[in-house]
Amino acid sequence: MNLKILIIDDDEVVVFIQKKLLAKNEISNNPMVFKSVSPALDFIASEDGNKEFLILLDINMPGMNGWDFLEELSKKPDKDRFHVIMVTSSVEQRDKEKASKYSMVREFLEKPITNECCKKMKDIPEISHFFVKV
Amino acid sequence: MFKENEELKILVIEDNYGDFVLIQEYLTDEYSKFKIKRAENFENARKLLEDNRDYSAILLDLSLPDVDRPEKLVKEVLGLANSSAVIVLTGYADKDFGMKTLSWGVSDYLLKDEITSSILTKSIQYSRERKRVKRELEESEKKYRNLFDASPLPMWVLDRNSLEFLNVNNAAMELYGYSRQEFLKLNIRELWAEGETLGEETWKKNKNDFFSLQLKHRTKKGKILYVDIETNPITFDGRDARVTLASDITGKVKAEKDLYHSQQRFKALVQDGSDVISIIDENFRYSYISPSVKNILDVNPKQMEGRNVFEFIHPDDEIRIKKYLKFVGKKKTVQLPSYRYKDGKGKWRWLETIISDLRDDPAIDGLVANSRDITQFIYQEKELRESLERYDTVAKATSDLIVDYNIESDELKFNEAISEIFGYSAENTEFNGSWWDSKIHPDDFGRIKAQEREMVERKRKLMHSEYRLACADGSYKYVLDRSYLLTDNSGNPKRIIGSIQDITDRYNYIKAIEDSNERLREIAWTQSHVVRAPLARIMGLIDLLKNHRENIENVTEILDNILISSRELDKVIRKIANKTEK
Repeated sequence: MNLKILIIDDDEVVVFIQKKLLAKNEISNNPMVFKSVSPALDFIASEDGNKEFLILLDINMPGMNGWDFLEELSKKPDKDRFHVIMVTSSVEQRDKEKASKYSMVREFLEKPITNECCKKMKDIPEISHFFVKV
Repeated sequence: MFKENEELKILVIEDNYGDFVLIQEYLTDEYSKFKIKRAENFENARKLLEDNRDYSAILLDLSLPDVDRPEKLVKEVLGLANSSAVIVLTGYADKDFGMKTLSWGVSDYLLKDEITSSILTKSIQYSRERKRVKRELEESEKKYRNLFDASPLPMWVLDRNSLEFLNVNNAAMELYGYSRQEFLKLNIRELWAEGETLGEETWKKNKNDFFSLQLKHRTKKGKILYVDIETNPITFDGRDARVTLASDITGKVKAEKDLYHSQQRFKALVQDGSDVISIIDENFRYSYISPSVKNILDVNPKQMEGRNVFEFIHPDDEIRIKKYLKFVGKKKTVQLPSYRYKDGKGKWRWLETIISDLRDDPAIDGLVANSRDITQFIYQEKELRESLERYDTVAKATSDLIVDYNIESDELKFNEAISEIFGYSAENTEFNGSWWDSKIHPDDFGRIKAQEREMVERKRKLMHSEYRLACADGSYKYVLDRSYLLTDNSGNPKRIIGSIQDITDRYNYIKAIEDSNERLREIAWTQSHVVRAPLARIMGLIDLLKNHRENIENVTEILDNILISSRELDKVIRKIANKTEK
């Protein structure tokens, strides 16, 4: 599969829950996990230019936060390759509005994510073709 | 025998020698001494007369060989004779002709046959006498004519009936601008100015008498003259005429009119003017008071003359006025301060007086006082002062800065708040529009100037604005400016009155609240994330247990995680509780 799944979150419990659910919903059995933004950006930079990414992104993190990550991504010329799901512990309207200004953001979810959330992810038009059952 | 002072000189024009000798004989009988010459024809006579004209008499015989017509002869000789008397000698047959010659200017005629010594002598004597009288008459006439022509006063002679000009002198020509020829074609009526009827009336009533009158005349150029006319009936060249003397009194009439106007003006000033003019003697008694006092103070001027001025002045003002009166005599004019004066109805009026010392002027011989009723003015001033005092009190009572800006003079005035609130010396003389501009915070300046322009240009009465204003120490105060535009009667902007309130404390307070609100919002946001993070974990873990239990290898690990997250949540909530308690 040419779709790489990334989880960027500093909370281990959250990562644990998300990995379980992604596996259960047949999205990924082995997503890449990053506890902070910088290593994730480095990884993306090292990857093949053809690859597309589904990224579950937390906002509040020490050091660079989720917004900084989005800022960096939007500088890339081929930013259509990045499909970002914002995942936050508390949904605030102004955060949602801010997120909608970035074209890569496909969804805005409140923790904890559930099965429903996973189904929604698979239905996102830009990436749904990756999940078509044979 | 005649005794002659001057020597007798006789010319005899006679072709007959005998007759000549005869005449010479007769003359010798009567005169002791005389000269005699003879011309035997006209040609000789003419030569002699042209050489010498001072003959006492010329005796002319009418029958001469070289002149065939006696009439022509007589006239030629008369022409040459000048002042000499011409006596014609004729025969009896020509007696009638001889008489006729008298009308041509011959002095006498004698019949040759009747001549004797005494007749000849008498004739010569009478002729000479007549000639002399005629000459004197002519000279006298000439003298009078000269007097008429050379008179500096305009004179003319009119036909007594038609009033046409018969003669006119140089002065008249000069005054009226007509030449002699022009005058002689005119009628006196053409000199009378338009509307002047007196000339016609007077002339008709006094046709043959002397009369005099004053008339308006018009010159050739149309200038109007006032003239005094004196005119007498005379006979002129055999016609009924009148001689007229005209004196130009235009200047005098004008001077009289000016004097009259000047008197009228003076009368208007003194009688109907708004000032009372009085003359006061050294003991401060009225010797004259202008009639205008009747209108102004309701007093009859006659009742005031002789009375002391202090009878009328308010007792409370007397000392003050007397102080000023001490300066009279030291200064030419003294202005008295306003004082109260009792009018005709016993009411007090406010007067203002200027005293001029004219004791040296014999026409005045006293002090001239010009007084003006200023009662109305005093009351208005009092009202204005009270109104100003009220304004001052209000300005002092308020803690606002009151600004009074005169747009035209660029003058800026403040109440005491300028020093109390903003620290500027109230005596600063640099207060003006640009000073004020320099005190507005640069960031507010553009906005405030635009508002001010709108106020003046669009005549907006009221303006509210908030901005920062610099204090003397350079710090800024936040002010609320409520300005009001004053206009004149035509609506032109004149002044801006502003009430400027120091709202720095209020502004700072509001800003502090806003800052605190902002901080609180941030705290709430952070807290909600901090609180919800462990809760979200617990919810996620429970979801796993409930929905995916069959796929979970290590349930204990999940339960441990739930416990850890619950404790974390507990800790966070306790922390919040503690913070809010503080």
